[in-house]
Amino acid sequence: MKKKTSRFLVFAAFTVPAFAAILVSVEVPFLMSVLYSFTKWNGLDRVPLFIGMANYTEIFLDDPDMMRALSFTFQQTFFRVILTNAIALLLAVLLDGEIRGKNALRAIFYIPNIISLIVIGYIWRFIFSKGFDSFYEMTKAPIFMLSWLGDGDMAFGSVLLVSVWQSIGFYLVIYIAGLQIVPRDVIEASMIDGAGPHSRFYKITLPLIMPSVTVAVFHSLSNSLKSFDVIFSLTNGGPGIATTTIALDIYKTAFVVSRFGYGTAKSVLLFLLILAFTFFQVKMFKSREIEA
Amino acid sequence: MKRAISFLVVLTLACASVFAAGAKEEAAEQKPVTLNLMFYSPELQEQYNDMVAAYKAETGVTLDITVLQADYRSVLTSKINSGDIPDVFMTSAYADNSTYKDYAYDMSNEPFVKQLQPSALQGVTVAGKVIGYPFLVQSHSFIYNKKVFADVGITELPKTLDQLEAAAKKIEAAGIQPFATGFKEFWVLPQTAWQALAPAVVKNYGGYAKFVAGLNDGSLKFKNVSEMAQVFDLLDLIKKYGGPKPNESDFNDQTSSIATGKVAIIHQGNWAEGTIRKTNEAADIGYLVGPAGNDAAGAGIMFDSNQTIRVAKDGKNLKAALAWLNWLTTSEYGKNWIPGKIKQMSPIIGSDAPDSQIAKATAKLLGEKAPGYPWFYQMFPTGTEQQLGAVLQGYCAGQTDRAATLDAMDAAYTKIAKAAN
Repeated sequence: MKKKTSRFLVFAAFTVPAFAAILVSVEVPFLMSVLYSFTKWNGLDRVPLFIGMANYTEIFLDDPDMMRALSFTFQQTFFRVILTNAIALLLAVLLDGEIRGKNALRAIFYIPNIISLIVIGYIWRFIFSKGFDSFYEMTKAPIFMLSWLGDGDMAFGSVLLVSVWQSIGFYLVIYIAGLQIVPRDVIEASMIDGAGPHSRFYKITLPLIMPSVTVAVFHSLSNSLKSFDVIFSLTNGGPGIATTTIALDIYKTAFVVSRFGYGTAKSVLLFLLILAFTFFQVKMFKSREIEA
Repeated sequence: MKRAISFLVVLTLACASVFAAGAKEEAAEQKPVTLNLMFYSPELQEQYNDMVAAYKAETGVTLDITVLQADYRSVLTSKINSGDIPDVFMTSAYADNSTYKDYAYDMSNEPFVKQLQPSALQGVTVAGKVIGYPFLVQSHSFIYNKKVFADVGITELPKTLDQLEAAAKKIEAAGIQPFATGFKEFWVLPQTAWQALAPAVVKNYGGYAKFVAGLNDGSLKFKNVSEMAQVFDLLDLIKKYGGPKPNESDFNDQTSSIATGKVAIIHQGNWAEGTIRKTNEAADIGYLVGPAGNDAAGAGIMFDSNQTIRVAKDGKNLKAALAWLNWLTTSEYGKNWIPGKIKQMSPIIGSDAPDSQIAKATAKLLGEKAPGYPWFYQMFPTGTEQQLGAVLQGYCAGQTDRAATLDAMDAAYTKIAKAAN
């Protein structure tokens, strides 16, 4: 009996502080958000007004801006997940091989990942406007005279370009780590059996790094669905609301229009959305993982 | 079990000492007064610091100023929410009067209020109560580069839309870009747009209060405001002569382009002059009235005090905050601070005119009886400026035509007005 209590105490001593910290800084605010999502509150009034499900019905029935943000976010997510993972995997395979200066190259690809996203947004904003102007002066190539941030469709591509460029480094690291634990003997066995580079990659390497793919796709999926920073500083959702993501729409609802209750309702919805998407993605990908 | 209890006791004691330390610190701070201020307009950081040093030297009171810009409102809101209300903070006038009604001190009976121009107090007075201190008197309209105008031979300044287009054509023919649009900034677009509507609101809609009340209760819709056509005409004109990438021009592009004479005209306010002079100290600039259609008599400038200093009514340093405002209004340094150091117009009665070309041009235009319109769009519910700015940006980027833009403006406005009630 006594031994059991002391074991329990040791267990508690290690877990309770972390548990309490997470409870206070994550779970309680989250539950409060859920509560606020049923209220009409401008963030300043001392007493929020309880209005039941009205915020949620407004999202679905009467908010075309939110629906546009939703569709923009889905389109961005679709392209971002495919492009980031495809390019990162390709680069990882190249950089895992025997090429000169591969450490330097790895560092170069990783650097954008350690710069603050807001700063990256401002740097690219400068490149797209003033930088491209100078390129045009030098080359007279019409591509630099296009309005990369001022035209709705162009801005879609520009935002995609910057976010993919920025995030590749992180996924590159995951894939390189995955490639390095692929056992050499399996590869060698396949070479003896006469497998060429292509079938070696698709039949041996790819199935074996499936755990890395699961992780990388999971992260890129959830990060794309909540993307905010780059767009905030690059286009601020513009022109018009052409590049407004759900996260930016939530920010504007809460902090610009001062509708905190409505904003939290949207964020609860975003949470459920990400939960559902990533749940199915992980489930689907996990089933394809194999062990060597 | 005993151990469990002693563990809990130790834990509680450990926490208690931490809390106690916090309480002690607070008590120690009480003695020399430190006022917490939260301001925006980081371009005035140097002037803020200068004032803080002067106040410290004269009274020994420390002013601790936090200066933010883009996320100012969100930080202020979170501070107020968490109970950490700054003693003094800055907001807009008009609609913000009701937004911050629970927190702003009613200074109607403070003696220093009588030293302020009544026109500057309009935007902060609700039902006879003065609940804010007008910080600066500002104006916005079209700023033009005098040298470019002289070089291309424009002698008569444009007052109507047609004249502005004729001027733009002349400038373009000389190989100079007529406008830097500023369309990328959410606030430049609406400022440009509302100025073109201002005279019509007085003439055809019974004044600003009635116009805004109509929009708020839904009896008036933008799509039924026929004068919105002249707003779109003006935006189209600026876009047409606004260079190859009109939707990417921001504040920095506007100020640097006009300073160097790369463009001839921008829509901006007197606050832009400091930034323009940083690029070119000797820039020779002036003010054009904002055309509202082709009615030359109605073309004026937007002239008001919008930036408002508010005192937290439940703050423990309320007295010290009021003493500081009194000093700002009555002391030698305070009276000279805005015209002399910030170089903008002061709301204090009898203060000196600032040494600034745009401020002088403002005074001159108003002296010549050009209309000075209040910033009536600040009466729209909080947040409307940015939302409608985004809608207008969509129009300028060619995403919506005029009818769809008006519908989107009505939809956005209705939503915000409904939420604000």
